[in-house]
Amino acid sequence: MAKLGVFDLAVRYGKLLAVKDVSFAVAEGERLFVSGPNGAGKSSLLGAICGAVRAAHGRVEMDGDILSGRAPEEIARRGLSMVPEGRRIFAGLTVRENLMIGTGQRRDRAAVADDLETVYDAFPILRERAHANAGALSGGQQQMLAISRALMTNPKLMLVDEPSLGLAPKVVDEVYERLCALQALRGLTLVIVEQSSTRAARVGGRMLLMRGGRVVADGDATAFAAGDLLAEAYFGDPS
Amino acid sequence: MSLQLVFDALSLGGIYAIAALGIALIFGVMNLVNFAHGQFIACSVFALILPSADAVATMGLGALPAPLLIAAILAFGAGLAVAAEALVFRPLRNASPVALMVASFALGILLQNILLVAYGGRPKAVSLWPQLGSPVQVLSAQVPLLQLLVIGAVALILAGLALMLKRARVGLEMRAAAEDFDMARMLGVRANGVISGAFALSGALAAVVALVLVTQTGVADVRMGGQIMLVAFIATVVGGMGSLAGAVAAGLALGAASALLQAFLPVEARPFRDAFLYGLVILVLLFRPQGLFASVGAKPRV
Repeated sequence: MAKLGVFDLAVRYGKLLAVKDVSFAVAEGERLFVSGPNGAGKSSLLGAICGAVRAAHGRVEMDGDILSGRAPEEIARRGLSMVPEGRRIFAGLTVRENLMIGTGQRRDRAAVADDLETVYDAFPILRERAHANAGALSGGQQQMLAISRALMTNPKLMLVDEPSLGLAPKVVDEVYERLCALQALRGLTLVIVEQSSTRAARVGGRMLLMRGGRVVADGDATAFAAGDLLAEAYFGDPS
Repeated sequence: MSLQLVFDALSLGGIYAIAALGIALIFGVMNLVNFAHGQFIACSVFALILPSADAVATMGLGALPAPLLIAAILAFGAGLAVAAEALVFRPLRNASPVALMVASFALGILLQNILLVAYGGRPKAVSLWPQLGSPVQVLSAQVPLLQLLVIGAVALILAGLALMLKRARVGLEMRAAAEDFDMARMLGVRANGVISGAFALSGALAAVVALVLVTQTGVADVRMGGQIMLVAFIATVVGGMGSLAGAVAAGLALGAASALLQAFLPVEARPFRDAFLYGLVILVLLFRPQGLFASVGAKPRV
């Protein structure tokens, strides 16, 4: 059974159809990149999966459980966690409070403490700045905090929207390196929106290419970077 | 400056601060200025007495021994606010802030009219804890016992609330929700829980104000929440919408300014005390339109 199943999903903003007829499946432990030009519907797709945006049509399942139509908090409590575009950390809360905010539904306090150690070990800067206001962190540190905050909910599946946005390339390298290490450590399933397909190819994984709200290609990220499917997606006929 | 004045300023400011907090708490989590807060206060006052049109009230809940009475009236205020949220504001959760605000006005008018039907429109004499009016000697000042109690209670409530917001899970969730509610939900924070919690706290604070008002004035009046609601709303604006610390600071400042003006204005200008007070408010807002403590949570949400 697929970890995540998306069936005929459509998202509509007024008259604009941002996502249409999108279907795909993600296997347990897989790393799936969603790439494509601006306005391709990548973020709307993630929004519809995590419940932040209401789907106009279609459904989303995780482990056979239907997620569509549920409130975002109920989806999060089922083990789907979101690292949103722009990070959206709670700037007025401390780093530690940001990490603890998603642990309310977890009953096993020892496991929470273990997880806190895990993210502190992965991102030592967060341990160092645990009691500082999260707003005082740099962009890269905030991205690491956003990823760690999502991990603290103990997700089975994590959605990450544009983790490289606004970060220096070296910092992006570091973010991806830690993200992949955490994925391996926790057996996470990852769906990552990444504008740069060369970056996706470098990190490695499967890639969906979107354009005009549709999935136009699906395959190995490294194969995309070599082939001309990418040029087709960016410059080809959208119909 | 006389010591008496300090007590006046602190007790009046403290009550304003508690009322302002009741409004700021709800604004913080759902961007709603709850104009029914004044009627929450009025309803809590009338919950003490039995429904009748008599000029002198018969005690209902108000006949209970003090600790029970306080617990019962706080629970009443909290319950009223939670019920109002569930019945009126929850169905409008996704409506515009303006629609929410209008709904709060409507709720206020409805509650006031329910009180009018049940209790009649005439103010009633209510004698709650009259012994608290007796003066106590504090250093050089003669202070009514009630004033001392109010100051102590306000300090206790503020400290308790600060501790809860800082330490308790629900406090953490409220602060996160005040900054970015949608993000908090995506991390599993239940919207209904946080909002009900904020309303319960706000309603309990309204009940505190009700107890102080009725003890101080000895009157139950259907209109009694209106005046303090206005001051409290102004305090939340001056403090910076959404900032709890700002609401408390501005509430205290308004109370203090009011007491000072009362004491130092020339006798013939005293009837216009409130005009001077609100003149000061306008001055503050001219220089800091975002309020004294503009909060992160008050920024427009995308």
